[in-house]
Amino acid sequence: MKVVSHSPNAPASPADCPMPSAKPPFLGFGLGLRAQHYDEILNGNPPIDWLEIISENYMIPGGQPLRVLDRIRERYAVVMHGVSLSIASTAPPNFEYLRGLRELARRIEPRWISDHLCWTGVHGTNLHDLLPIPYTAEALDHIVNRVQLVQDYLGCAIVLENVSTYVQFSNSEMTEWEFLSELSRRSGCWLLFDVNNVYVSAFNHGYDPMTFLGGIRADRVVQFHMAGHSHMGTHIIDTHDHPVAEDVWALYAAALRRFGRVSTMIERDDNIPPLGELLVEVERTRKIATEVFSRPDRPVQ
Amino acid sequence: MSEFARQQDDFQRAILTGDDAVLAEILDSPREQRAVLFGIYRHAYVSRLIEAIRNDHKRLHLYLGDDMFDAMGRAYVAAHPSQHPNLRWFSQALPEFLKSTAPYRDHPILSDLAALETALNDAFDAEDVPLLALSDMAGFAPEVWSGLRFRPHPSAFSLDISTNASAIWLALRDGQTPPDPVTLVEPGRLLIWRRDVAPMFRELSAEEAMMWIRAADGVPFGVLCAALGASGDPDSAAARAAGYLRDWITAGLLTNAAID
Repeated sequence: MKVVSHSPNAPASPADCPMPSAKPPFLGFGLGLRAQHYDEILNGNPPIDWLEIISENYMIPGGQPLRVLDRIRERYAVVMHGVSLSIASTAPPNFEYLRGLRELARRIEPRWISDHLCWTGVHGTNLHDLLPIPYTAEALDHIVNRVQLVQDYLGCAIVLENVSTYVQFSNSEMTEWEFLSELSRRSGCWLLFDVNNVYVSAFNHGYDPMTFLGGIRADRVVQFHMAGHSHMGTHIIDTHDHPVAEDVWALYAAALRRFGRVSTMIERDDNIPPLGELLVEVERTRKIATEVFSRPDRPVQ
Repeated sequence: MSEFARQQDDFQRAILTGDDAVLAEILDSPREQRAVLFGIYRHAYVSRLIEAIRNDHKRLHLYLGDDMFDAMGRAYVAAHPSQHPNLRWFSQALPEFLKSTAPYRDHPILSDLAALETALNDAFDAEDVPLLALSDMAGFAPEVWSGLRFRPHPSAFSLDISTNASAIWLALRDGQTPPDPVTLVEPGRLLIWRRDVAPMFRELSAEEAMMWIRAADGVPFGVLCAALGASGDPDSAAARAAGYLRDWITAGLLTNAAID
């Protein structure tokens, strides 16, 4: 059954967005905050427009991480990015987790809260992975309802990211980009377009990443992730432990042309290099955007 | 159960148990067999959790070495699937696992090391609360001191150990060859807490341990002094109790003092 009939470029009407929420502002060019860089960031004021935190790293009672975060947010715009919302899980919602997420959001007042279009476990078990879903009407209905519940609880529209996937289900009824666009249209959530993940999934499943890019509603994308991966020959694993690959840089330029000025950040999760190496990549995101738009970019305050 | 829920059930079981039934619903990619691609999820599950244990137990990892630590990690992952959305809490049951599971239970140094590292991790991100200061104590008239009750800092934790785990932990931290594991003649007690942002620990004497445990339970200062008098020199009991109290306040171990 083909579900999507909505043009990917058509703007959302008010009726499309059960959780009306102003589109998050363009923040400029940022970086994922990692503990290895706390001192350099606090003492050096590096040229980063904004920082993204892993929400779960700060969903703790207290201590140094939260104290550092309090100081960081005095200087930088901060975005919360979680890995355990498990929005696509068929298990009951975890309100203890949601309460912790909301408490952290109240403390640091992020520009937005994001997580992934995936599930992490059922039956009380957490596999701590971003697991794939079948792109079916049944899954879409379930996830739309779950997104609306989470948005009601948090009091704001959330942002959902496309994940890298290694398998596809034989019962899928639509493409990933059709699913994402329809989910955003029906639930009102915004989209985090992970450029690397699109590249990885496109290679793994044998489609053109430009088709994915062209199939996403341009007005719903509010953030880009840029990251590295590990090429295994027959497939690519999304390891986030390498510099951004050249092909992904090229796809980033195409994404800028497609989606316009979108908050962009470098995301490194493993094999964390010195801050300076990541700042070179941050600067490259800025430079490419400048070239694409042919005029200086300044973050919106 | 919906079709979507049934599929997630199959997918999770395939990762946890090796049941391949879900492969019937997964496609080969243009370049690779589905079994290989699904194996990425199986491998990532175990390796990510072992990495989480390794991050939380760096000295235990050093002590055991890569191969033994990974074997221990795989056994723990199989016995304790994660029940919490935050990886921070995944290895909380490791000390008890090592204490009760062969072959690790035959080496009590392992559970003691794991318990010490768990306590230090818990101290690291324990709740922030205002500390009791020596100057705060000046506000209490001498005649009310016997009724004072104290509240420990949320990071403070006393740990019973049966081995020389503290000496081994310190040697591993400092890059030295650790001493051979030894079972203590008398069980020891460590006090773990956070000072500013740094977790730390020290050994407690039997007398201080007795006083700390009671003080942390809210026993009033007068009763603590009497207990010290009963277990040691009664004439110096009040002075010894005051000394312990001063040390605890100076170290940031207490958050509050109040009269009934």
